[in-house]
Amino acid sequence: MLAWRNLSRDPIRLLLSVAGVAVSIVLILLLVGYRSGIYAQASAYLDHASGSALVAERGVADFFGTTSTLEPRVVEQVASLPGVAAAVPIVTQFVVFEEHGRKDGMFLVGYDPEKGGGPWRLAAGREPATDEEIVLDGVAAGQHGIGLGDRIRILDRDLAVVGLSEDTTFWSGSMAFARIGALETLLRAPGLRSFLLVTPTPGASLPSLTTAVSSLGADLVPKSTLIANDRRLLARVYDAPIGLMVAIAFVIGILVVGLVIYTSTVERRREYGALKAIGAGNRALYRVVATQALIAALLGAGSGAVLAVVGERALMAWRPQFRVEIDAATVAVVLASSLLMAAIASLVPARALAGLEPAEVLRS
Amino acid sequence: MTTTLAIRGVTKQFGHGATSVEAVRGVGLSVESGEVLLIMGPSGSGKSTLLSIMGALLRPTAGTVTLNGVAISQLPERDLPPVRLREFGFVFQDFNLLAALSALENVALVAELTGTARAEALRRAGELLTELGLAERVAFLPDQLSGGEKQRVAIARALINDPSVILADEPTANLDSSNGHEIMRTLRAVAKERGRSVVIVSHDQRIRDIADRVVWLEDGQLRDLMTMAVDPVCGMSVEHDRAVTLEQGGELRFFCSRGCRAEFLGELDGPAETRPARTGPLASLFQAVRPKTP
Ligand SMILES: Nc1ncnc2c1ncn2[C@@H]1O[C@H](COP(=O)(O)OP(=O)(O)O)[C@@H](O)[C@H]1O
Ligand SMILES: [Mg+2]
Repeated sequence: MLAWRNLSRDPIRLLLSVAGVAVSIVLILLLVGYRSGIYAQASAYLDHASGSALVAERGVADFFGTTSTLEPRVVEQVASLPGVAAAVPIVTQFVVFEEHGRKDGMFLVGYDPEKGGGPWRLAAGREPATDEEIVLDGVAAGQHGIGLGDRIRILDRDLAVVGLSEDTTFWSGSMAFARIGALETLLRAPGLRSFLLVTPTPGASLPSLTTAVSSLGADLVPKSTLIANDRRLLARVYDAPIGLMVAIAFVIGILVVGLVIYTSTVERRREYGALKAIGAGNRALYRVVATQALIAALLGAGSGAVLAVVGERALMAWRPQFRVEIDAATVAVVLASSLLMAAIASLVPARALAGLEPAEVLRS
Repeated sequence: MTTTLAIRGVTKQFGHGATSVEAVRGVGLSVESGEVLLIMGPSGSGKSTLLSIMGALLRPTAGTVTLNGVAISQLPERDLPPVRLREFGFVFQDFNLLAALSALENVALVAELTGTARAEALRRAGELLTELGLAERVAFLPDQLSGGEKQRVAIARALINDPSVILADEPTANLDSSNGHEIMRTLRAVAKERGRSVVIVSHDQRIRDIADRVVWLEDGQLRDLMTMAVDPVCGMSVEHDRAVTLEQGGELRFFCSRGCRAEFLGELDGPAETRPARTGPLASLFQAVRPKTP
C-alpha cells in the first residue's frame, strides 16, 4: 500500500518509469520478434517443401549457405533406393537481381511443377508452364514495380512474370521460382541438380537410407539439420548485434526504474529513517522499495507488450519484407525479465536503506 | 510505580582519535511507569544522543540500558527492530509522518508492522486518533494537517503498539506555544492515564511544568540541578558559577550575560508585561505540577 501511494504521489515520475520500461520492453520484443521472424523466413521453404530429408552434395549441410551439385548418377539411383517413396529434384542458385537501379538478392529455385518443390502459396497468377516464365515473391515484385505479365531480366535472359508468391521473402532478399529447364539454361549447366527432396516410405529406416545414400557418394541430411545449420549461419550474423541491442534495452529499463526508485527513496530518506526508528526492519523497507520497482516494471512491461504487438502490425504493414514474430512465449519471457529488471533496479535503493541509521532521524 | 527504563554509566563516543566526540559521558538515569521525565540542556549537549541510546536506536560505547529488566544494550542488532516497534514509541521534532499516507494509515501502518491485520490496525488507529481529538482528520494527508495535528498523529503512531516508553525529541520545537502546550498535556496524559513512561527532550522552558522530574544535560553529563539556573530573560540555562548575578530583595537571580540582566532591570522598571520573578531554578523546577485538564 505504501509502495503504491509513494508512487502515485508523483504521477509524472511513475509515468516516466513506466514509459522507460515500456520503451525497453517494446525494443526487446521487436528485436526478439524480428529475430524469430528472420528464422521463420529462413526455414519457410524447407518447412513447406515435401519430404523429411534432402540429398545433398557430400559435405553440404545447409540449404542457403552453400551450393550443392549432385551427380546425375546419384539423382537416378536415389529414386530407386528401397525406402524412398519420392525424390523431387530441385536446383537452387543465389543471384543478384537488378531492376530500376535497385539491387536485391534473389534465391532462385528451379523445380518441376508436376513433382513439387515450388511456391506453396500464390497471391496471384500461376506456376511457370515454360522455361521462359518465372514466379516472383509478391512483396519484392511490388517494391520493384513489377506486375504479372511484365518481363524481367535475370543474368542474360528475359523471363515473363506469371505468378506472385506469398511468404517468400527472407533475410537477404526474396525467393523466385522457375522450371528446372530455365535454370539449366540460365546457368548453362544442363542436367544440373542441387538437391533431392526425399520422402521416405512409411516405416523406412532412416539410418539405413543414410548409409545407402552415403554409399552413392552423397549425403542424406534431415530437414531439421539443414534448418538448424541455416539458423546457425544466421545466428552468426544476427545474434550478436540483436543480443547486444536487447541487452542495452534491458539495461535501459533497469536504469530508468532504478533511477526513479532510487530518487524517490533518497527523497523519502527521512521517512524511511523514521520508520526504522519506529521499528521497521530492513526487510519491511526493502519490500516497499521492491514493490515500487515491481509495480513500475509490470505496468511498463504490460504497456510495452501491447505497444510491441501494435508496433509489430504497423511495421509489417509498412515494410512487408520484415517479418516480426512475437509469440506468447516470448512475451512471457520478456514479462518475466521485467521482474528481473525490478529486482536489479531495487538493489541500489535497498542498499541505501540498509545503510540508513535509525538514530539519524533525531539529528537535525 | 516500577522502574521501566534504566541506564547506567552510559557513554557514547562518535569517531576515533583526535576528531572523536564524547556526546554522552557516564550518564545514569531511570524512569518509572507513569512518570514524565524531561531532559533539558543546551543545543549540542547530547540530549538526542542520550534519547537514541535510551530508545535502542544507538548502542552506547559503554554502559547498559535496561528495559523492564532486560539489558537491551546487549541485544544483537537483529533483535532490536522488534524492541523498537513494541516497547518504544518515538515522537520527533519534525513529525516524520509518511507524506503519501493519510493520518489513519500512518498510525495503522505501525500496527501492521507487528503483524496485526489491516482491518484491526485501521480500527485501532481510528480509535486512538478519535481519543486524541482527530476524528475529523483521519483521512487527511499530513500536508493537510496543522503542526499540532501532525504531532498528535505522531503521538497516536507512537502509542498504537502500546509501548512501555514514549520518547519525544523536541516535540514542541516546531509548534507555536499553544499547540506546544497542547502536545505536552497530551504526553502527560499518556503517562498518567496509560501508565507509560514518557521521556521528553527539550530546551523549551515553557514545558518544564508538565514534567514530574527534570534533569540537566550539559557537555554530555548530567549536571546537578542545584548548580543550574535559567536566565529569566533569554531562557538559557546557566551555571551558577558562570552566571551574571543580581541580588534583589534578598533573592539571587542568574543571567547569561550583562545584556540580559540589563534588560531584566529595564523590564522591571517598565510598566508593560512584567515577567514573573523567579527565585532560582528550584522554585520553577519543582513548582507544583499543573493539574491535568481533560
Ligand atoms: N552520528 C554522529 N556522529 C558524530 N557526532 C555526532 C553524531 N551525533 C551527534 N554527534 C555530536 O554529539 C554531540 C551531541 O549531539 P546531540 O545529541 O544531537 O545534541 P542535542 O540533541 O543536545 O542538541 C554534538 O556535538 C554532535 O555534533
Ligand atoms: Mg537534538
